[in-house]
Amino acid sequence: MKRYVLLILGLAMTAIYLFPLYWMYLTALKSSTEIFQYPPTFWPSDTQWNFLEVWKSRDMGRYIWNSLLIATGVTILATTLGTGCAYVLSRVRNVWIEIALFAILMMQVLPSSLMVTPIFVMFNQIGLLASPRIAVILAQTAKVLPLYIVLCRATFVQVPRELEEAALVDGSSRIGAFFHIMLPLARNGILVTSVLIFLQSFGEYVYARSLIAKNELQTATVGLQTFMGPNANDWNGIMTYAAIYVTPILIVFMLLQRRIVSGLTAGALK
Amino acid sequence: MQGIIRTIRDGSGFDILLLGLALLYLIIFSAFPIIYNIIMSLQTVDMFTLTSFNRPFVGLQNYYDIFSQPVARTIFWNTVKFVVLSIVFQLSIGFGLALFFQQDFPGASYLRGLFLAGWIMPALVVGAIWKWLFAGDFGVINYVLTSLGIADDRIFWLSDPNVALYAVIIANIWLGIPFNMILLSVGLASIPRDVYEAAELDGAGAFERFRSITLPLMRAQLGAVISLGVIFTLQQFDLIAALTQGGPADSSNVAQYWSWQFSFQTYEISLGSAVSVLMIIFVIVVAAVYVRSTRHEHSY
Repeated sequence: MKRYVLLILGLAMTAIYLFPLYWMYLTALKSSTEIFQYPPTFWPSDTQWNFLEVWKSRDMGRYIWNSLLIATGVTILATTLGTGCAYVLSRVRNVWIEIALFAILMMQVLPSSLMVTPIFVMFNQIGLLASPRIAVILAQTAKVLPLYIVLCRATFVQVPRELEEAALVDGSSRIGAFFHIMLPLARNGILVTSVLIFLQSFGEYVYARSLIAKNELQTATVGLQTFMGPNANDWNGIMTYAAIYVTPILIVFMLLQRRIVSGLTAGALK
Repeated sequence: MQGIIRTIRDGSGFDILLLGLALLYLIIFSAFPIIYNIIMSLQTVDMFTLTSFNRPFVGLQNYYDIFSQPVARTIFWNTVKFVVLSIVFQLSIGFGLALFFQQDFPGASYLRGLFLAGWIMPALVVGAIWKWLFAGDFGVINYVLTSLGIADDRIFWLSDPNVALYAVIIANIWLGIPFNMILLSVGLASIPRDVYEAAELDGAGAFERFRSITLPLMRAQLGAVISLGVIFTLQQFDLIAALTQGGPADSSNVAQYWSWQFSFQTYEISLGSAVSVLMIIFVIVVAAVYVRSTRHEHSY
């Protein structure tokens, strides 16, 4: 009996917590007069499906495409640079490695809103702002690479040393052992971590807003911000935009939830 | 040449290469900007000197200028309030939920997982949703508060300078709860069950068990979660950009947003870097304390 009381309480708490999400979807489905009704309705009386309209009128395809491009670039760059580094940090142990690891952990915490000032001036001076999406990719990679390394390292630590040593005894080279033994065994961890940094970069805002001047190169977050403008009252459209944008993120996340949680906690607490 | 190829293929050169690539990247795009930031905070950098490599050196003038700004006091206290209140509530609500979902009932871990939806969403989208929830005339929060009799009249959450900061803090607490809850859940799960059973046999009540077993055993975890909370709260920018943009009249402005405003809205870039240098130093100190404490706990 007690277990079912707890279940009902748990459901109630989850419902209260997720209410903002419900309100987003609900507003997206309401008609533009219904959202300004007071008292507000908690179930749409006249459901509107204006997703396609908002997608077209706000030019969301272009924004989402830019976000995808940046997130993909960041993920490719971070996995290429980070995986090997995470592997070395999990295998070799000496003072220098300790120092490197400490420095990486420190770089993980630098807020983008504070780093963007020197990055903007530096990129401006070397002419990188002429290709602003690449500039965002480079800056955002520096932001997520330390996190990627820390989480991936936790995965490599779990792979038994003996497997690699056995391959080396059998005459495999270090490179061979890395690509044929270590990478396949750490594959799941690498994948989940990549998805995590992909999702984070897909929602990136500070660098895009500050480094990209042209509207047609902007990301979905900046598109949403311009939509919200100073005197926004098309909340119906804004919530539709938000719903289109976050639904894929939520679906990917729900599918990988368990793995992301375990990877994340391993990285943060060990 | 042959030797170099061999060591990369099959020796310590392999390690150095893999480590070096990532470190080199981080030095160019993270460490160097920090140093450059410090240099810029000692120069005059604005629209005219932006692209020049030879800027006038002004010493600590920029730091003096920031602190002599009339809003500096407001922004300092706003930042303190933002961090302290966010963490107190994120932690206590997160801890409460972690304890609740630790109990044995059907679907407990599944429901706990659903909370993370709030954490994975882009903060700017979360800000947009809360802006609509907080809306003065048609917002659902005002409706709930007035119909429950908690508030007499509509609160203008985002345009009233007395409450704007608290509105941002509430949204930030919502964002931070899942992370706190999950990390604390991991800690709770690692406390052996028989410790509680032994205490129960000795006649300790639920509160006594929490005070004398859970809290002391969770000390390391709580320390880690608090320092991560400080770090994440000081990273929060998107939410402020979406909700109030620091306004009205800087009443909800915090240091990290202020720094960005200097650099990208009024183009007083050297002032922006001065604020940024001070905040980066603070964040790094907190992070160093955190890393040291966790590495002491798990010396592997």
